[in-house]
Amino acid sequence: MCDNCGCNVTDANRHLLEGDEHHTIEVLENLLHENDIQADHNRAHFEEHGVFVVNIMSGPGSGKTSLLEATIKALPQGMRIAVIEGDLETENDAERIRRHGVPAIQITTGMACHLDAHMVHEALHELDLTGIDILFIENVGNLVCPANFDIGQHRNVLLLSVTEGDDKPAKYPIMFRAGDQVLITKTDLLPYIEEFSMARARASIRAVRGDMPIIELSSKNGEGLWQWIDWLVQSVTERKVAA
Amino acid sequence: MHETAIVGGLMRILEQKAARNGVTHISSVLLKVGRLRAVEPQQLSACFEMFSEGTVADGAVLVIDVIGVRGRCRACATEFDVPRFYFECPACAGSDIEVIQGQELYIESFEASGMSKVHDASSVGG
Repeated sequence: MCDNCGCNVTDANRHLLEGDEHHTIEVLENLLHENDIQADHNRAHFEEHGVFVVNIMSGPGSGKTSLLEATIKALPQGMRIAVIEGDLETENDAERIRRHGVPAIQITTGMACHLDAHMVHEALHELDLTGIDILFIENVGNLVCPANFDIGQHRNVLLLSVTEGDDKPAKYPIMFRAGDQVLITKTDLLPYIEEFSMARARASIRAVRGDMPIIELSSKNGEGLWQWIDWLVQSVTERKVAA
Repeated sequence: MHETAIVGGLMRILEQKAARNGVTHISSVLLKVGRLRAVEPQQLSACFEMFSEGTVADGAVLVIDVIGVRGRCRACATEFDVPRFYFECPACAGSDIEVIQGQELYIESFEASGMSKVHDASSVGG
């Protein structure tokens, strides 16, 4: 009909015309969508190569790199490992790993306090995963942010050292709850730290996740390390059988 | 938690959706943020204010609906509100709890207060 007197404008189409009407547009989209897509892409890449990927997280100084060094020495000879290290600055940790003859890529994040899927994806360009059984990703030492960023890992492992305080899990519940396994490290120092109660630490962990598997170990003297090695070997075997 | 990463994601979504729907100005944005995502609402708002300046969402109000944590006990199926991250069933004291609410992190909707002009009025209605 006529297109300039407004007689064909009805309540049904009025909103399409210029005006100050408020119009709700439904979105329903995940705000970390891009990271999650990249993480799934990383995960698919790991599946393709049959690699078991462990994201190692903790506060700074809990002994993540020392654990990896002890792990490299204790795993069965035939098991091939690679490591991605994450720190704000320095290549120190990757260098420590390389001294054991294990391939290690260092991500230096600069300002970022956690690794994200994109950073890991970039690091993977420099790593040949052919024949690798386990990829350890040592995240940035931080008990707040890393758990919130999926990087494509299969399992999250949290470290809590006996020098940190037995109530840390209660203080950082989201991070500890994100773990599939908690390792209480530096048990060789227990005789010198009477303030740390293993019972309180275990209770603190169980309060955020009742069924959390907990292993007490020392990378220094090897105490309890066999339980961690067992879990790793079992996890790798299960994936190979399932594949 | 990284509010900048989240706001970055939010701005990308808003710009795409605005372009697709012919929206020229956004007046408000509704977000759903679960308590388990460790996001600080005030920081998120402050970050949004910075990132939205000069964009289609300049001056938009960020409405953050903070969603509490709810769990379901895997042993007795009781559903309950989880107080301050203490995951224990109030009915049977079980500790195997499935999180059924509190992990949300998404944009629900936004209000467009400006739309592209439709020039050909004969093409509307019918």
